[in-house]
Amino acid sequence: MSYLQYRKLKNILFLGSLYMSALIALLPLFLILQYLILKGATSLNLDFFLHDPSPVGEAGGGMRHAIVGTLYMVGIGSLISVPIGLLCGIYLAEFGRGKTAKILRFTIDMLTGIPSIIIGIFAYILIVAPLQSFSALAGGFALSIIILPIVTRSTEEILKLVPTHIREAGLALGLPRWRVIFQIIVKGNFKSLITGIMLAVSRAAGETAPLLFTAFGNMYLNFQISEPMASLPVQIYTYAISPFDQWQEQAWAAAFVLITIVLGINLVSRALVNNKMIIGQSKRVINHTRLIRKKKGN
Amino acid sequence: MNEKQTEQKVTLATKDLHAWFDDFHAVKGISVEYPEKTINAVIGPSGCGKSTYLRCLNRIHEEVPGAKASGEVSLLGQNIYAPHVDPVELRRNIGMVFQKPNPFPNMTIFENVVIGLKLQGYSKKSYLLEVAEHCLKKAALWEEVKDKLNRPGTSLSGGQQQRLCIARALAVNPPVLLMDEPTSALDPIASAKIEELMTELKKEFTVIVVTHNMQQAARIADYTSFLVLGELIEHGLSSQIFTNPKEQKTEDYVTGRFG
Repeated sequence: MSYLQYRKLKNILFLGSLYMSALIALLPLFLILQYLILKGATSLNLDFFLHDPSPVGEAGGGMRHAIVGTLYMVGIGSLISVPIGLLCGIYLAEFGRGKTAKILRFTIDMLTGIPSIIIGIFAYILIVAPLQSFSALAGGFALSIIILPIVTRSTEEILKLVPTHIREAGLALGLPRWRVIFQIIVKGNFKSLITGIMLAVSRAAGETAPLLFTAFGNMYLNFQISEPMASLPVQIYTYAISPFDQWQEQAWAAAFVLITIVLGINLVSRALVNNKMIIGQSKRVINHTRLIRKKKGN
Repeated sequence: MNEKQTEQKVTLATKDLHAWFDDFHAVKGISVEYPEKTINAVIGPSGCGKSTYLRCLNRIHEEVPGAKASGEVSLLGQNIYAPHVDPVELRRNIGMVFQKPNPFPNMTIFENVVIGLKLQGYSKKSYLLEVAEHCLKKAALWEEVKDKLNRPGTSLSGGQQQRLCIARALAVNPPVLLMDEPTSALDPIASAKIEELMTELKKEFTVIVVTHNMQQAARIADYTSFLVLGELIEHGLSSQIFTNPKEQKTEDYVTGRFG
């Protein structure tokens, strides 16, 4: 084998391994989706969205209560954490140089890494135990702790991408600092910020562990914040380990609905930014070529 | 020429101006007077503190963490470093143009020009449109953008963006226009346009421009200051600085022997 052939072979082997890994990384999502569509979509019907569970052994019934419960508790979590997370992110990006910022950044990073079951226990001790009742409030609170660090960090990362000279342009025009931040930096990156929030929210919507002993679960539709509340993930867990075929089928259907909600939020939010990102990137490319041309000219 | 200098009103004057970044003494006691309706260039080798000096003139220098300044800068006779002066309020009366064109990306061409006026409470659309047209004309951009005022400011080319930034700075009718290497990110044709524009602007404004391009300073500036390592080496008429400098260092720099 000549040296050239050897080099070409190495090239093919390396490229091949790259493609293989890419393919393997793609597989899980597609297999999950395939299973869910095969098993879940077939057990899905209109009743699933319109009715609460029927007693064991009786046909029909649905998971209206769990869909409502998931949206309700994610709503509570977002109400608590989105404003705080946004403001923390703005603080870190705009003023985050001192010791306070360092500690905050570290804390937020740690918070991201805490296992979600621990967050559930924390919410149990803080809310469920004193009130002596599982409640939607406790569930929402636990979800808010999931949402907070993600919103904070995504906000910080997005705002850090804004070049300093844009801030200076605002300051030089006599805009006070807060107006530069809100009217130019935040407003100009509104779509990206919304995406960060939606990704955090969709993450929270799929969480089971924080809800197990906070919101607990409920077989009836509930709108009371102080009462136990059903959620899709917990309902899937309960139904999937039950011995009844009908419940297991409904668990599949619930799984399908849950992943549709989560992926749906993901896709919509990505589509929102992508429009903008593509424009931004192409511009950056143009600026680069211009720079290169200039350098060569010199 | 000296007679002319005394006749002219002084728009901006610095007196013993110092600036620091933490412990680094970047500007060391500069005192210069800028007569009304002139172009004044600040030249010097990289890192000589010329940008920092310029940024002290509208107190934007102190926005950088760890930065501070002392001394006196009088704008139309008022010391802008006096304790009662609000830097935010002050900056509304001084225009600034940066090295990189920086129109606000979330605003249209029109909004970019009138943002300063909006801040001061003007909201009548017809008035704002009038000012926008006036300023864009002064910035020699009107003909190119009059049909697309509602397009984003960032959709323009680099040179156009820089002229948009000039129009934005002019909208509040400031007595002084500070320019921090306004052409260094532009190609020669766009640069020439900006230079031409500056000589037009001189009729109404006092322009102080930092440049690393000595030919540019020689072409357009009435007066030139030469800085090295934060110190003012020489200040005088450009014709004198570039042809008959008093200091050896200035001569070495303008003839290209160092810097």
